[in-house]
Amino acid sequence: MAAGGNQPPGGEIKNPLSIDSTNAADGSKVFSAMNCDGCHGGGALGWVGPSLVDGRWRYGGTDGALFQSIFYGRPRGMPAYGGIMSPGAIWKVVAYIRAQPVPADVPTERWPSGERRP
Amino acid sequence: MRVAPFATVALIVLQGTSPQDDGQWTMPGKNYAATRYSGLTQITPGNAPRLRPVWSFSTGVLGGHEGQPLVVGSTMYVVTPFPDVLYAFDLTREGYPLKWKYRPEVNPASLGIACCDAINRGAVYADGKIVYNLLDGHTVAVDAVSGRELWKTQIADINQGETTPMAPFVAGKRVIVGPSGGEFGIYGWVKGLDLATGKILWTAHNMGPDSLMLARPGRGNYAGDPNIGVSTWEGDSWRRGGGPVWGWISYDPELDLIYFGTGNPGPYNTEQRPGENKWTNSVLARRPGDGTLVWAYQFTPHDSWDYDSNAEMILVDLVIGGRMRKVLVHFDKNGFAYTLDRVTGELLVAEAFANVTWAKGINKRTGVPILDTTKTTGASRGNVQGICPSLEGGKSPASPSAYSPRTGLFYTATNNLCMNFEAAPVTRIPGTPYIGATTPYVAGPGGHMGEFIAWDAARGRKVWGIKEKFPVWSGSVVTAGDVVFFGTLDGWFKAADAKTGRQLWKFKVGSGVIGAPISFRGPDGKQYIAVYAGIGGDWFLLSGDVRSDDPADVRPPADFAPDLARHTSQGGIVWIFGL
Repeated sequence: MAAGGNQPPGGEIKNPLSIDSTNAADGSKVFSAMNCDGCHGGGALGWVGPSLVDGRWRYGGTDGALFQSIFYGRPRGMPAYGGIMSPGAIWKVVAYIRAQPVPADVPTERWPSGERRP
Repeated sequence: MRVAPFATVALIVLQGTSPQDDGQWTMPGKNYAATRYSGLTQITPGNAPRLRPVWSFSTGVLGGHEGQPLVVGSTMYVVTPFPDVLYAFDLTREGYPLKWKYRPEVNPASLGIACCDAINRGAVYADGKIVYNLLDGHTVAVDAVSGRELWKTQIADINQGETTPMAPFVAGKRVIVGPSGGEFGIYGWVKGLDLATGKILWTAHNMGPDSLMLARPGRGNYAGDPNIGVSTWEGDSWRRGGGPVWGWISYDPELDLIYFGTGNPGPYNTEQRPGENKWTNSVLARRPGDGTLVWAYQFTPHDSWDYDSNAEMILVDLVIGGRMRKVLVHFDKNGFAYTLDRVTGELLVAEAFANVTWAKGINKRTGVPILDTTKTTGASRGNVQGICPSLEGGKSPASPSAYSPRTGLFYTATNNLCMNFEAAPVTRIPGTPYIGATTPYVAGPGGHMGEFIAWDAARGRKVWGIKEKFPVWSGSVVTAGDVVFFGTLDGWFKAADAKTGRQLWKFKVGSGVIGAPISFRGPDGKQYIAVYAGIGGDWFLLSGDVRSDDPADVRPPADFAPDLARHTSQGGIVWIFGL
C-alpha cells in the first residue's frame, strides 16, 4: 500500500522545544483538543490507533519521526495534521508523547485468575 | 433452559419467501424480510453431528470479516474487508476455483475514518449485478458474469468522517445505501440510487429540517412535529449529530416501505446536544422510490450510552393480543427486543433480552424508556458506573439474527457486558473522531460474556440460551431442517437444534467468527453452510494480541477478555460445510 503518508525528503529534524512538564502539559491539551485521543485513546494507551506509550514505533520514535507522522500522516489511517495544526502545536504534542513513561514489560498475554500460567 | 413451545406459537406467515427455497442466497438477509431463514431441509438435528468442512479459502486479508457471502446460480461471491476485493468462485468445479476477482481502487485514507476496523458487511445481487460499498464512500456495481465494473458512484465523503462498510440493499429498482460515522460527527443520511446507472436519485437525512428529512408531517402515518429533527436538538448540533446508517435494511413490497435503524447521536458527551435528538437511535420507514419518511420510532431518546439502533428489522406476521399483525422485530443495542406494527410504527412488545440497568422498562403507551437517572451520562456527571449493556450492545447490530417460521422463534447472538462511562467535552474537526468518552467494560452477571438465544417475539421472552465465555458476535442462519448455526469469538462454528437449543456439532475455524452464516444448495443438489472466520470489527480494538502484525497489549480497554488471544488470531477464511 503506497498511497498516503509518503515520506517527505530531507534529514532528521530537531525539536525546538524542550521535553519538560510545561510543554508536555500543553501537548496533552492539544492531544485532546485535536481528537488524537479519539483514535489513540485516553492517555495515548491505544484504541483504533496504536498505543503511543508502549515504546513500539512503526515509523520511528525520534522527535523528528513523530513530527513527520503527525504533519504528513501515515498509511492505514493517520490523517495529515500539517494542514490544521501549527508546527509549534505539533511539537507540543511530540513533547507530550515523549514525556510519557514507557513500561519496562509490555504484556501481550494474560491468564484469567484461577488458571495457571505455564 | 426450556423446550421451545413451537407448536403453541400462533400461526405465522413468512414474508418474502416462497415455500420452495431456490437454494440461492442473493441478498444480505436472504430475503426482503431479512429472516436469514433457509428453506433447505437436508441438514437435520439427526445428521448435523456428521457435518464436515468441504472447502476453505484464505481471503488474504486480516481485517474483521463481517457479513456473508452470496450464492447466485452456481457462483459464490465474497467481498473482503478493506481493500474490498470481490471474489467469484465456480461452485460447479472441484475445489471451487476462482472465476475472477474484481480489485477496486480504494482510498487507504478511509482506514483512519473507519471507527471500528476496516470491515465490509457484504454485497447484494440484483438484475445481473453484484452491488457493494467500498470503505472510502463509493458504491460499485459489477457484472455478475464477467466481473466488469458497470458503474461506480461516490456516495459519501471521508473528509467529513463518512465511511461505507454497510451492505447495500436493493428494493425494486433502487439501491439503498448509508454511511458509518457516528463517532465522527457526520450528518446522517440514506440515499436511493438507480440500480441501472448508479445515479443518486434522492438523499434523505435522519435529522434536521423536514425538507432535508423528506418528511411531510400530517401526511400518511408520519406523526412527528414539524421540524422535529431540529427542535429536538440545541442550536445547529443536528448538523454534526451522527445518526449513521451502517446496519441492515428490509423491505415490505406490499406496503412499499423500507425499514432501517439509525445509529448514535454524536458526540457521546450528552451535554453538547440537549434534547431527544430525533431521529437518532430510531427505526425509520421510508418509500424506496423517493425516500419519503412515512413513520419513525425512537428506541433511545437523547442517547447517553452509544446505543445505536442499526440492527436488522425482521419482517414477520404474528398474532399478538389475538390479532394477526404485520410486525417488525428488532434487537436493540439498548438490551430491549421490540415488536412494532410495521404499518404504523405502533409499539406492541418491548422486553429486555439482556441484562439492563439504564432503564426499568419501556412505557408501552408512550413508547419511551423508564430511565434509571443514576445511569445517565455527561461530562459534568463524572464516571458513571455499572451501566448494562455496554456500548457493544445487548446484541451487536453487526450480528444479524434469524427467524424460523417453523419454530416461530428468533435466534440471536447476545453480549453480557457492562461498562463505566466517563464523558468529556470534545470539538468537531472534520475527518477526526468526535467521541468524548472513555468506556471500559466488565463481564455482566454470571461472568459469561455472551449467550446465543432463541426469543419469542410475540410474548417477549427467551425460550432457550447457550452461554458462551466470550461475547457472541456472529450472525445466524436457521434452516427448514430445524438447525441453527452461529460462531464464537474464540473461533468455534456451532450447530444447535432450533427447537431445543441442544448443541449438535462444532468445528474450530481458525479465527473468531463475526460473520453471518448462510445456507445454499450446490450445483450437486446438496445443502451447504458457508461462513467467514476472521476476528475484527470492534474486536480489532479490544482483542489484545490477536493482531499478529502489531501486538496490542492486555491493558485497558482490552483487559476484560485477557485470554482471548490464546484461542484465536486474525485472518480471513471462507468456510463451506456439508454432510
